[in-house]
Order: sequence, then structure tokens, then C-alpha cells
Amino acid sequence: MAGITASLGRRRVGADTSVFAHLDLALLALPIAISSLGLLMIYDASRAETARAGLSRFYYVERQGAAIALGLIAMAAVMAIDYRRIREAWPLVYLGVLPLLAGVVILGRNHGGAQAWFQVGPFQFQPSEIAKVAIVVAIAGYCHQHRGDLDAWRVAVAIGLAGVVMAIVYAQHDLGTMLVIMVCAAAVLVIAGLKPVHIGVLLLLAASLVGAAVVTGKVQAYQLDRLTSFTNQSTSNLSAQQQTAAQFNLGASKSAIASGHFEGAGFGRGLQTRNGFVPEQHTDFIFTAVGEDLGFVGGAALLLLYALLAWRLWRISLLSSDFFGTLVAIGVLAMFAIQIFENVGMTMGIMPITGIPLPFMSYGGSAVIASFIAIGLVLNIHMRRFS
Amino acid sequence: MSDNSRVRVSIVGVVIVALFASLFARLWFLQMGPDQKLGKVVSTLATRVIQTESPRGEILDRNGKVLAQDVAAWAVTVDRNLRASTRDRVLGQLAEVLQVKEKTLRANYDSVRQSPLQPAVVQLDVPLPAQLMIREHSEDYPGVNVVELTVRKYPYDGYGSQLLGYLGEVDALSKDQFKQLQAKGYRTGDLIGRDGVESAFESVLRGKPRRETVQVDPTGKQIGAPISVDPGTVGNNVKLTIDIKVQETAEKALAEGISAARGLKNEKITDHYETLKPTGGAVVVLNVHDGSVLAMASNPTYNLSEWVGGISPDNFALLSNPGAHNPLLNRATDGQYAPGSTFKLVPSAALTRYGVLSPSQYIDDTGTFRVGNTTFANDNHAINGPVDLQKALTVSSDIYFYEAGNQFWNSWKAGDTNRGLGIQAVASELGFGHSTGIEIGDASGRIPDPAWRAAYAKANYKTQDLINQYSVWYPGDNMNSAVGQGDDLVTPLQLANAYATFANGNTTHVGTVWTPHVDESVTDPMTKKTIKRYTRKARGTVQFGDAYGPMAAGFAGVVSDPKGTAFDAFRGLSLAGPIVAGKTGTAEVTGKGSTSVFASYFPADNPQYAVVGFVEEGGHGAQVAAPIVRQVIESISNLPITPIPTLKTGKD
Repeated sequence: MAGITASLGRRRVGADTSVFAHLDLALLALPIAISSLGLLMIYDASRAETARAGLSRFYYVERQGAAIALGLIAMAAVMAIDYRRIREAWPLVYLGVLPLLAGVVILGRNHGGAQAWFQVGPFQFQPSEIAKVAIVVAIAGYCHQHRGDLDAWRVAVAIGLAGVVMAIVYAQHDLGTMLVIMVCAAAVLVIAGLKPVHIGVLLLLAASLVGAAVVTGKVQAYQLDRLTSFTNQSTSNLSAQQQTAAQFNLGASKSAIASGHFEGAGFGRGLQTRNGFVPEQHTDFIFTAVGEDLGFVGGAALLLLYALLAWRLWRISLLSSDFFGTLVAIGVLAMFAIQIFENVGMTMGIMPITGIPLPFMSYGGSAVIASFIAIGLVLNIHMRRFS
Repeated sequence: MSDNSRVRVSIVGVVIVALFASLFARLWFLQMGPDQKLGKVVSTLATRVIQTESPRGEILDRNGKVLAQDVAAWAVTVDRNLRASTRDRVLGQLAEVLQVKEKTLRANYDSVRQSPLQPAVVQLDVPLPAQLMIREHSEDYPGVNVVELTVRKYPYDGYGSQLLGYLGEVDALSKDQFKQLQAKGYRTGDLIGRDGVESAFESVLRGKPRRETVQVDPTGKQIGAPISVDPGTVGNNVKLTIDIKVQETAEKALAEGISAARGLKNEKITDHYETLKPTGGAVVVLNVHDGSVLAMASNPTYNLSEWVGGISPDNFALLSNPGAHNPLLNRATDGQYAPGSTFKLVPSAALTRYGVLSPSQYIDDTGTFRVGNTTFANDNHAINGPVDLQKALTVSSDIYFYEAGNQFWNSWKAGDTNRGLGIQAVASELGFGHSTGIEIGDASGRIPDPAWRAAYAKANYKTQDLINQYSVWYPGDNMNSAVGQGDDLVTPLQLANAYATFANGNTTHVGTVWTPHVDESVTDPMTKKTIKRYTRKARGTVQFGDAYGPMAAGFAGVVSDPKGTAFDAFRGLSLAGPIVAGKTGTAEVTGKGSTSVFASYFPADNPQYAVVGFVEEGGHGAQVAAPIVRQVIESISNLPITPIPTLKTGKD
């Protein structure tokens, strides 16, 4: 492997120094910075709801804080294990996540039209979030195992690995997460050396599958409604009652962001955020709170933080000492990029509405923990690139 | 890493740069771009009008004393959409702060009298320290608000209740009534006068409601401040002709009289000793020169404050219990009683007018009067000897009026219906048998005549034989009518107005029937200026002619002549106070104790006020009703009040 040799050639003196000497501090600091901002915005966006429900104003903030702490611990744990062991153990990772995913379909609580939780004490655990990371590890591990020898049959196996997980997630009515997993798997496979002809066949297959799903009614009405509402946004002539819930969400979301203008209304001053006007604002629509309160300055700054995060991930994919590392970094990059683009895009009306959280910002413990684990993996790859 | 992979990783990088670039661009155009109407999408969303009632006008007495007014009260409300566990915790905390039982708060919260859509009022009249406690620690009391409500207050609570009337929510009315009111701008939960002055002057007292137009999201939740506010107007004040001091005296006198009657023997029961069991009564005080009502008492009564915020089921059960004898009924306007001898005012006027008996003609009162097979007797079997009109009134000779009634009947039998129904004609002129036209509404009473008798028989009997049998107009019917017995029914207000009519004709011998009224004026609550003043309305006149002098003397004798039936009851009053003229009445009621009645006017030589008292099952007129009336007259004349004596016997 040319890449590995090249990396080895760049090995620095003092091989016995701790791997933590090569820690990518920027990649460590960015998620912490973003989640801190997330805590502030969750506080702001959830006040109306907590007041209405008779909860403490810090109810969601406290729970999100706990999730961030757990995520940091999980990240540290992932970093403590040499990622090459994880690489070898990819089948275990894959098989470990399958029963969890299947479990929620059978036992999961019915919530918000999607069965996706395990109730663990006062918390809900959502295995599909972990599944995103697991599928990246599994496909990267499989492709690493068969690097340079990825024929059509093996591509089919890799797609099968992703397909099983996607099918189970789809059974939980979590269309958004399924699409994220699809994008992650596709990104890993493309970097792993998928031939152009395979890519073409897969695209055709995907298109016909989606078409078949819509035609046969396998896609739920509300899902279709959410997906298409962004194509039909001029609702100003409709009263609130005439709009579909999705159109209303979108209108409220866009007007909240638009009213932020350049400098924003100021933290806690945004009328629509303060009054809880945007539905699901502390979860999927957290970006509207940033847009309204902090304006273009704040929104752009947040996007810049994400862009820096993406840059660090992309950079590590090139620095990795092995193929697995490259693939995982790209997979994690794809995972964050698609979620950021989809989530922020949906709040601004350029992407359809799906229930995908904004990484490190949206309220939601499982997603936060899974995101920190993903970062931990990439940090792991970066700091052990010389060992 | 293969070069192929490097190229592909680079492509991924380019794609991601493109994605971020499009997000930045979209964010810029959304927030800074030319399409700035998006930020105003909110204002095109649904609006809703929130209507709140403006304070209701005050009801004042003739001297400007407040009888009913809206005042601000601080109340604690709890939101309806709290989670059960939170709500339970909050109610527990509130019980501690407000120092009431949690059970009480819960009962208020769950009360069916509260709208399920609005926050529940769990406590009214919250003291300031508790208000502050709740406001300063609002985060500990989720869903709890301290709000200012207006509630009706009654400074003279318990007095004039039936006259003033209570308020109720429009929702409690029938569907059709509610629909009509909705068209007039009433909304669910609005209060409306349900009785008395509150009902009669509803359109005056009710202000224009405050209307706020607010924006709501699809769940109906208000967003931001109201778009527009129509502040509405406060209702106008109604100043009544009532003098609350006289009203109080009248009610206290009535209650005292009823209480005293409970210690008196029921003389209708002869085989054993039994006391009277009065069930209620009424007092009416009128100004004889314009029909204005100074006082209107009805007993049993209730407190209007019980209705504030919705009457409790327990209180309502008490008020509607038959054993309570219907405290909600205004007996002064809607109680219908046989007037007894007080009705002799009517045949006295008719006798002379129709030339049946001259006022100076004497009739020998032998104590009994026979018509066909029936013997009619004086009350208490008194024998009064020869009586003319004046004496017949003073000593209350029934025989005199039986004679009169019989002679009228003879005329009727002879085919002279005009003369034969003279008593009925005068009764109608004086206002009996139909509503007086008072603003708060009243019963019409009943003066029987042959036509009524026939109609009544037809309505109550099935076979033609029975109908024919009971359609007959007997001499006794007319005689009973003459002395206010039998089927005669009058309201206390009608009787008072009839005596007022007689009284105001003292110089011309032509009485004017004024429409009794409680409205003095309508005033603006802000400027205190009079918007509309009531002008007296005459309904007609009554000619008394030559009968006037003897009648007036006869009524004066009732009180002043030692032989007068109410001499004892008014003994000593004329030394310091006005000379009173009046008439006692003891109306027999089948199966019950007699109704005690006294009708009067004073001062006898220059009448100003007419005062009438009724006590159901109160015995003789002189026993209970006359002393009650005396107390009222003393109150109007600013004299010390004479306690109601418990006379052993009484005369009619």
C-alpha cells in the first residue's frame, strides 16, 4: 500500500511518545464548541415548551448536557482502543448493532409515527443513530479486507450489509436515517473503488426502488407530504388551517430564520423562538433559533464551524495510515455532511423535511453520543497514524 | 492510498464544499436578500378575536348608595393543559400558599361551572402576600397565573335580592335563547341579568365588550401581542327609586313580622291549639304621586353574593327546595294573593258610581247575610249594627259589602251587565287583573267575572253537564269578589298601586294610576352625568266622586278610631308621626292559614306614600301585616321603630 508506506516514511522521531501527542486538537475542540452552542440554543428554543408542559426551564438542557458528558466518555473509550482492533472486529460491530435495531421494531415504543426507541430509565435510546456509525465501520472494514479486489459480487455483499440495516431502519418509519445510512455506505463504497459501471447500475436501482415505493404506497403519506412540501412553498395565500402541517412547519421555520436578518434579534429575544412558534424547534429545527436570534452572523459562524469540522475529517482521510482509516473518515464525513446539509437545508426550504438531527446541536441523546463516537473513531485514526 | 482513491476523496471534498457553499448562499438570501416579506409570514396566519366583558354598570339607590357594582378581584388560575402529575403538585403547593384545603382547589378546578377551554379559576379574592409569593416564584408554579377578574359585589347583600336579580352565564340558557344572544354579541361565559333589575336593564348595564384581535398558530395558541384592540366601554349605571334604608327596614320588619306570627294561634283551627306557620310575605312602598317604588321586600330571601362566580350546587338545592318556599320568587310583584277586605276599596268606589248604595245609606249589619241557602257571616261573627260606607270600612263590615255585591249581581241577573259588573270594571281601572307595567315584570292577578267563570269551567271540567254546572255565576261569587275573597287574586304591587291611586286623588277625587317603576335615571359611569331620566307615566284615571270623602274617612278610622281594625296596631304613632289611613285584610285560603294583609297611605290629609304588607298564613291583617307596615312608615318618617307585638287576637 503506497499510502501506508508514505505515512510510515513520514514517521517522526520519538516513536515511544504517547499516541495522544498526535491528537487533532481542532477536531476535538469543534464538536465541544458546537455542542456548547447547542446547549444555549436548546435552552432558548425549549422555554416555551417547558413552560407549557410545566417542566423546569432547564429540563432539556440538563438532559442534553448529560448526553454530551456520556458522549465524551464514549469518545474517550473509543479512542483508547487501537482502531485497527476495531477494524478487525468489524463483523462483531455489525452483528452487535443488528439485534438492537431489530429489538426496537419488536419492543420499541410508538413515538411520533416512528418506532425507534428503547426506554432506558428516564432516557430513550435510539439504536439507529449508533447504526449509522456501525455501518460505516462495517463496510469500511469489509472493503479494507478486500481492498483492491472489490468485484461485483463483493460490492453486492457490501450493499447487502447496508441494505439489511436500512431495511430495519425503514421498518421503524425512520426514512431520514435510512437515507443517511445509504449516503454513508455509498460514500465509503465509492472511495473503496467502486467501478463507474457499478455506480451507474446502483443509481438506476436506487431510483427504481424509490419510484416503486412511492407508487406502491410503501412511503407513508406524511413522509411524502414532508418530502414534497419544499417544492410547494408559496403558502402565503393560505390560512394556517389550510396548510398541511409540513407546509406550516416550513413557513414558520423560514420566517423565523428570515426575521433574524444580519445581526439577529439577540439571544432569547427572537419573537418566534421565544413564543415556541416553530414546531420541534429544540430538536430538528434548532437551526431556526440560531437564525432568528443570532442572525446571519451566527448562522454563518455555525456553518463555518461545521465546515472546519468537515475539513478536519477530510484531511484525516488523506493522512490515515491505512485504507480502513481513509474509508471511516470519509464515511463519518459523509454522515455529518449529509445531516448538516439536509437539516439546515430543510429549515431554509431547499431540502425536504425529514426527521434528521443537526449534529451536536439538536436535542437528542443518542445522536449526540453516536456523533461523539464517530469523532472518537476519526481522532483515533489520526493519532495512531504513526504507530 | 491509490491515486484513484485520492482523486475520489478530492471529489468528495469538492462536493462537500459545494454543499456548504449552497447553505451559505441560501442563508444569505433568506436573511439578507431582497425577498424580505418572508419575515412577515407570521402576520398572514390565522387571527382570532378574544372578547372579554367590560365592567357592568352599577345599580344605585335614589340617594346614590351602591347596591350592586363590579369590582376587581385577584384570582388564581391554573392552566388546563398541564400534565396530571404537574397539576397535582401545583394544586398541593397552592393549597399551602393560599391556606386552603387542596380538596377545595381541586373541586374548583373540576367544577362543571368552569369553562373547560379556559384556565380554571381555583381561588378568588387572593390576598396580596399570596399573590406576590406566586408571582415571584412563577417557575415553581407552572401554569399558574394571578389574574384580575371583575366580580359583582353587593354592599347591601341580602337586601332587595329579588328586586336586583342575580347574574348567570348565558350558556345556562336554552339553545335558542343563547343563539339570539350570540347574535347580539354575547359569547360563551358572558354574564347576563337573570332576574329583576339586572335583567330588565341588561342592555343599559352591560358594557361594550373589549375585543382583541390576536394571531394564533394552528394549535390555537396566541402569538405575540394583539394586532388590534377595541377597548369597549363600561356599562351605564342605573339609579333606582329605591331607598335602601326603607328597603332594609321593610325587609327586617317583614322578617320580624313573620317570626312574630309563628308565635300566634291559628284561629282557623278550632279543635286544638296550633300556631301560624307563615311561609313568606311581601312589602311594597310607593310614592303615590309618580308610582316610584321606594322599597319592595320579599321574604324568604337569599344573598346575591351566593351567585357570584356561579352558584354552588348545594346553595342552589337550598334555594330550590320546596321547604324553603321559593326565596327566588319576588312576592311583591309575582306573589298572587286574595286581598281580603283591603279589596273593599274597589266596591266602595263602584257602589256610588253605579248608584247601588249611597255613601250615607245605612245597612243593618246583623252579623249574617243570607242568599238562597247560604249564610255569609262577618269575620269573628262580629255584629256591627247599622253601618254606612265610612263605618263599614272602619269596622270592616262584610255584611255591608255582601249586600253591595248581591245588588250588583241582581243588576247583572236583570241583564244590566254594565252596572252588574261594576265592581270588576272599577277593579280593572285601578289596575287589578293585569300587569302594572313595572320594568321588572309582574304577575297579572285575577278578578273573576261570569266570562272567566265559564272559561275556567270549560278548561277544568270534561262533561258538558259539569261545565254547565260550574259555569254559573252565583250571587256568592260576586259577593266574594266584593270582599276580596274567593277567586280574587292580586299582587302586593297592584294593591299598593290601587291605594296610591286613591291617595293621589285626595283633592280632585279623581285618582291617577301611575305606572309603578324602579328606574330613576341612567347615568354615565365616567362623567356621572344623567343620560336619561325617567318621567312618570299615567295609565289612566279613576273617578271616586262622592264616595271619596266617606272612603277617606273610613280608611283613616281604621287606624284612628278606637273601633278601627288597626287601631291597636298603630296606637301612639299619630302623637309624633303622620296620620295613617289604611285597611286591614284577612284573606281566607282553603286549607291554609289566612293571609294577613294591610294596605295604607300616609299622611292621611296629604298622602305621599302608599305602603302595603302581606304575610302568607300570617293570620289577621291587624296582627302581623299592620305592625310591619307601621315599622316601614316609622322608618320613612325617621321615627324610632316599634317592635311587632304579639297580639292575642285580632279583628279584621
